[in-house]
Amino acid sequence: MSTATRSSKRSNRSSYATLLLVLALLGGIYTAFAAPKSKAEVASGGQQSLAVKEGAALFATGCSTCHGLNLEGGAGGPSLIGVGGAAVVFQVGSGRMPLVAGQVQAPRKKVKYSPSETDQLAAFVQSNGGGPELPAGDLTDGDLALGGDLFRTNCAGCHSAGGAGGVLTFGKYAPKLKPATPAVIYAAMQSGPESMPRFSANQLTDQQKRAITNYVYDTTHAAQPGGAALGKYGPVPEGLVIWLVGIGALVVLTLWIGARA
Amino acid sequence: MSDDDAAKGESIRDRLRSPASSDEANSGGDSRGSDLSGSDFQNTDSRQQLAATGHGEGQRVASGAAPATVTTKLLDERAARSAERKVAALFLLSVIGVVGFFVVYWFADFTYRVDKHWALYTPLLGVSMFLALFGIGAGTVQWAKTIMVDEETVQERHHLASEPDVRAEAASMLKTGLEETGLPRRALLRNTLLLGGGSLALLPVPLLFSLGPYAHKEDALRRTGWGKNVRLVRSNGTGVKLGDLLVGGAESVFPGVPGGRKMADSAVLLIRMRPEELQVQDSRKSWVVDGHVAYSVICTHLGCPVKLYEQQTHHLFCPCHQSTFQADKGAHPIFGPAARPLPQLAISVDPEGYFVAQADFDQPVGPSFWERKP
Repeated sequence: MSTATRSSKRSNRSSYATLLLVLALLGGIYTAFAAPKSKAEVASGGQQSLAVKEGAALFATGCSTCHGLNLEGGAGGPSLIGVGGAAVVFQVGSGRMPLVAGQVQAPRKKVKYSPSETDQLAAFVQSNGGGPELPAGDLTDGDLALGGDLFRTNCAGCHSAGGAGGVLTFGKYAPKLKPATPAVIYAAMQSGPESMPRFSANQLTDQQKRAITNYVYDTTHAAQPGGAALGKYGPVPEGLVIWLVGIGALVVLTLWIGARA
Repeated sequence: MSDDDAAKGESIRDRLRSPASSDEANSGGDSRGSDLSGSDFQNTDSRQQLAATGHGEGQRVASGAAPATVTTKLLDERAARSAERKVAALFLLSVIGVVGFFVVYWFADFTYRVDKHWALYTPLLGVSMFLALFGIGAGTVQWAKTIMVDEETVQERHHLASEPDVRAEAASMLKTGLEETGLPRRALLRNTLLLGGGSLALLPVPLLFSLGPYAHKEDALRRTGWGKNVRLVRSNGTGVKLGDLLVGGAESVFPGVPGGRKMADSAVLLIRMRPEELQVQDSRKSWVVDGHVAYSVICTHLGCPVKLYEQQTHHLFCPCHQSTFQADKGAHPIFGPAARPLPQLAISVDPEGYFVAQADFDQPVGPSFWERKP
């Protein structure tokens, strides 16, 4: 009886000790792994807020005339609350913003802001109301075959199968895709600029958007082993050249041979 | 062939050869000198003989001691040799082309790489192949024009009709053949053959009915794959849920029935806009769901897919003939040759949250056809 009590007491004491030991170990592990992470979080948060701050300064100088000091918009431009960083990457990263003159559609121009300034502007706009963002990292790692399939289903209607672009209504147009950087291509799908529809994550997942981005970049930058691509507009200009230039030259040659004989 | 023709033929040949010798140019039309004319006429005579007798096989008949072929070729040995050199040069050009083709094909860098591709590979293959073919072709033409003799020989045809006795024999053979079939004597055989042949001729008549109004008995032009509670599915077969589209988004959808994604007349564009932007006529208030509206994408002009959706102006644009439809106002046409709005599909959301059709379209989709009631 007494031995049993003692042993149970001892086992109680030892279980307390084990519990303490385990707690101490857990605490040690936690501090060992979590502490540096939290430090990193603080640091990146600081960088983020710094980017937002610098973006705000850039915005106040370059964009607020039209979009308002608090992104509320005005007579010159729409509100930017909730449009997200992707819209900034598309508009500023492709040189469409800042706008030079009111036109049917903002044309692609020389890019005015450096990539880091664009990121700062994007961080600032993102911090005001959220919205679609760009994922970090390389965007040209997607599956090319899948991208081609999705491009023909979702994009080729307006941008044409080779990415040469096409006309829309009343002076608007779907731009050609060769000058677009991968970030701009991805951002266009995320933000739906101007006439272009937006593609939600439920319509096209991140992986599918990466596939499309890679396909567009690859197909517009690939070499032309067959010679002149004729703007990649497809069979119509190719047929035109064959009939007018090719057959025309043959007819002239035939006439010349006939005149000589 | 008359002597004039022969002279003309000679003068053309001389003209082609004329730059070779200035003497020939000075001597005028007949450039070959008087000593050769006799031989030429002789030659012509022999050809006329050939034509008259009708026995000519097209072979050249040598007349006299000096054959015409040799005389025409030995006119100016200097010019002939120069022409020969030109032809030889063209043939050698062809050899160079072939060698060039081999070199490019085996030794040039054809590896396909994005950005760094050597763009001259295919064009160089083409150029060398062109040289190879052009050298042989042009050399042959030059050879035929300058060195080869191109005399024309006329061969008269004999009478096409057979001799009268042969024709009579053939006629009697045919007559005997007909007798031997038994048809003239056996009326039953003859009449049933006529009946059988006649009824066989009637066989295609029912096929004509397929071309007329009976063809549309099944209402193929009026029905699509849509129907009550048919889900709207993407090209990969997944359904579209309420909330999948953002405002300003659009999605091509097909009827969620077996084979629905292959139904060319059933393609639909599902569009989401702000509910307050969507102006729906009263009778169609129940056809839309929270700013989502669905239209047939088959153009009412000539049936192209109208899928170019502009999310700010809500224009639906047909790439074939620029018909433009106003998607926020019942897709009525605002520009281009299309005369009717795009048919609208009544949609709702099923208990699982997927978009479904309420019914098939209330009108035939696509272009007009004769039997269509407007």
